[in-house]
Amino acid sequence: MELLIKNGAVYDPVNGIKGDKTDIPIKDGKIVASVSSKAAVIDAGGRLVMPGGVDAHSHIAGAKVNVGRIMRPEDTRIGIRPRTKITRPYTGYTVPNVYAMGYRYAQMGYTTVFEAAQAIMKARHTHEELEEIPIIDKGALTLFGSNWPTMDYVREKNMDKLAAYVAWGLLASRGYGIKVVNPGGGEMWGFGKNVTGLDDVVPNFDVTPKDIIVSLMKANEMLGLPHSVHLHCNNLGKPGNYKTTLASMELAKQVKPSRDRQVLHVTHLTFNVWGGTNWGDFESKADEVANYLNSSENITTDMGQLIFGSATTMTADGPVQYANAKLLHAKWANGDVELEDASGVVPIFYVKQVSIHAIMWAMGLELALLTKDPYKVLLTTDHPNGGPFVNYPDVIALLMSNKKRQEEIKTLHEAVHKRTKIPGIERELDFNDIAIMTRAGSAKVLGLLDTKGHLGVGADADIAIYDIKPDQIDPSVEHARIKSAFSSAAYTIKGGEVVVKDGQVVATPAGRTFWVDASVPEQHRNEMLRDIRLKFKNYYSINLANYMVQDAYVTHPNVVKAGAIPVEVN
Amino acid sequence: MQTVTVKPRKEIRISVEAENISPDKFAGKTEKEIQSLEAWMGNEKTTLGELFSVKVDGQAPAADTKLVLEGDFSRVKRIGEGMTGGLIMVKGNVDMHIGAKMSGGKITVMGNADSWAGREMKGGELIIEGNAGYYLGAGYRGETCGMRGGKITVMGNALDYAGDHMCGGEIIVKGNAGLLPGLCNNGGKIVIEGNTSMPGSEMSKGTIIISGTVEEMMPVFRLEGAEALDGVTYRKYAGDVIVNGKGLLYVK
Repeated sequence: MELLIKNGAVYDPVNGIKGDKTDIPIKDGKIVASVSSKAAVIDAGGRLVMPGGVDAHSHIAGAKVNVGRIMRPEDTRIGIRPRTKITRPYTGYTVPNVYAMGYRYAQMGYTTVFEAAQAIMKARHTHEELEEIPIIDKGALTLFGSNWPTMDYVREKNMDKLAAYVAWGLLASRGYGIKVVNPGGGEMWGFGKNVTGLDDVVPNFDVTPKDIIVSLMKANEMLGLPHSVHLHCNNLGKPGNYKTTLASMELAKQVKPSRDRQVLHVTHLTFNVWGGTNWGDFESKADEVANYLNSSENITTDMGQLIFGSATTMTADGPVQYANAKLLHAKWANGDVELEDASGVVPIFYVKQVSIHAIMWAMGLELALLTKDPYKVLLTTDHPNGGPFVNYPDVIALLMSNKKRQEEIKTLHEAVHKRTKIPGIERELDFNDIAIMTRAGSAKVLGLLDTKGHLGVGADADIAIYDIKPDQIDPSVEHARIKSAFSSAAYTIKGGEVVVKDGQVVATPAGRTFWVDASVPEQHRNEMLRDIRLKFKNYYSINLANYMVQDAYVTHPNVVKAGAIPVEVN
Repeated sequence: MQTVTVKPRKEIRISVEAENISPDKFAGKTEKEIQSLEAWMGNEKTTLGELFSVKVDGQAPAADTKLVLEGDFSRVKRIGEGMTGGLIMVKGNVDMHIGAKMSGGKITVMGNADSWAGREMKGGELIIEGNAGYYLGAGYRGETCGMRGGKITVMGNALDYAGDHMCGGEIIVKGNAGLLPGLCNNGGKIVIEGNTSMPGSEMSKGTIIISGTVEEMMPVFRLEGAEALDGVTYRKYAGDVIVNGKGLLYVK
């Protein structure tokens, strides 16, 4: 099966192509150097061509997503589409059904999306949903930050066992990388408490959030995992938390990366760059965090941009969700995952005239615009915490057009003028920056750059063609056209197959699930497993045999090998 | 003035989703245009013309459009959904969701209305001359606000959960209401002239007035003495105290 995309205005930051007319030959799902004259041809006709979108942080599958669906039946009334010959029926806005996840991402030209948090114990559920999400390639990051074995090994300073536990946890959950959510806080929440800073001691375990973060970063690099530690900072959702965020970023200096990528990804910064001491003097400190990013290496972040309207906050950060539910008088779901973590789900409605929400809206944009290197700030909405992913085109338009931002600012609470820097920021991102924030950067952060996020020979043939001609459009003025073009791709090509044409889904192949098989020395593994068996015997409510995700749950796997053994042998 | 008369062509046994039967959708349209409007019967997509005969007299904007529905509409749902003005007169019974989300105009049902009548209504008036089903003027599953404005009058009885999650507007039930009227009331007014049970649970704001017998009171109200409304003396309760509610419940 051969395909040739001709006359595209290609933006491929990794290969240094900025809008040049470049042909893309495709064979058997991969981009190749050339194809025969028999290849089918798509004439892009000077339209914008980018690699397929890659989302490094989105909540698309698993236990808490489904809790969101259960507690928000009203959400299902939005976006109802009946069955067609090709697509299944789908519904929902903030917590859409599994089919909508795949179709809507593909319609925006996205082809790879990573679920940002799964507890090992709940991983079977995550994979049952991932299997049903059509078209896109997927993966899931596994929670390790408040797990009892993690904290035991951190206290014992036993890095070999910790690395062995991480490797085993990734296997048990068919996970892709280490997610850390409010380290220590998930355990404390079991006693109705929370940690308040990096140096608080978690009772019964005698470790601090700082110890947990640093040890997991070291274990991550010992194993040479493709992705870095993916951190949801402590104190999320509390005014003044930017100090904790900066202190957490500072920890990255203690660890050297084992690959060409960051050692720490600090996620959804809209919720973590809060200044002030209470809701009264709440303000944005995104500028300080952006300054820090500009002068630091080895740290990447994502926006977690706020979208006005309905959202559903869902996180493994149990205590923050209790606080949210009390503050908002909203519905609240609480979850406890035995030895692993906590979780909470709370619906929210972001309002333009609420000062806190207006300031938060500015934070994500400030961060993206004040950080010089777009590789350091990925475009996300922390779907569905900041807002649903279908609003990415709106965020792209905001980043590309100061005019649109100024129009939006006029409709917001006046606090956006005094408590944020956004009204004075004139920078407008170009197509290359956007391609980095939504493709090349995300792929690099995830460690997927060999096959994703670029259009060089050997990459997966995941390609988006948008109905705009970059040399004939001024995104600054025509922001509405930018938004509509990115909302509905002219073509989305996934693995060499056209899956979306003119914004309509035309084929629904199954995507693959990426997971990491990290090897560790047999001895470390056996020692660690002795501890794990004891934990199951004494504490878990289920058997070890019912815990692991079996291959039957991941029928389209893409196993990425990593591990400490090659290092040990040398 | 535009008058549109709609009659079922034959007996409707499978429920029909007919949100297109509304003055806003019919205004200024010819018979042919109205007949081509979409409707769903069960899981089959069809048109209004397939199911109903339509007669149009005159042309006018929505506010001056009157719909006369003759015959059996007891399996036809969502009539007048989201309407902003005009009149609907139903000479018989209707299925669920009559006048849902309507913001203006007036609907009169001369028979009975099934559940969710006036669901999440924002304004206008809904009169049900017969009985109403469950969840009169309520919010649909999961919604934080049911009725926000307008007025619903039921001449007969209403079943359980009348005014569930109401945030404004007024509901008058001339007959009896079932269990738990005004559940989670957050600012609406409910008047029940007949009997009911367990009113006002979890109400945070709003007013509920009951002239008949209350079979069972929820133990979440604080008695604040007696008060006369329109010359009739009621016991006045405040609550629901568990949710720190400021709602008022008057019981004769």
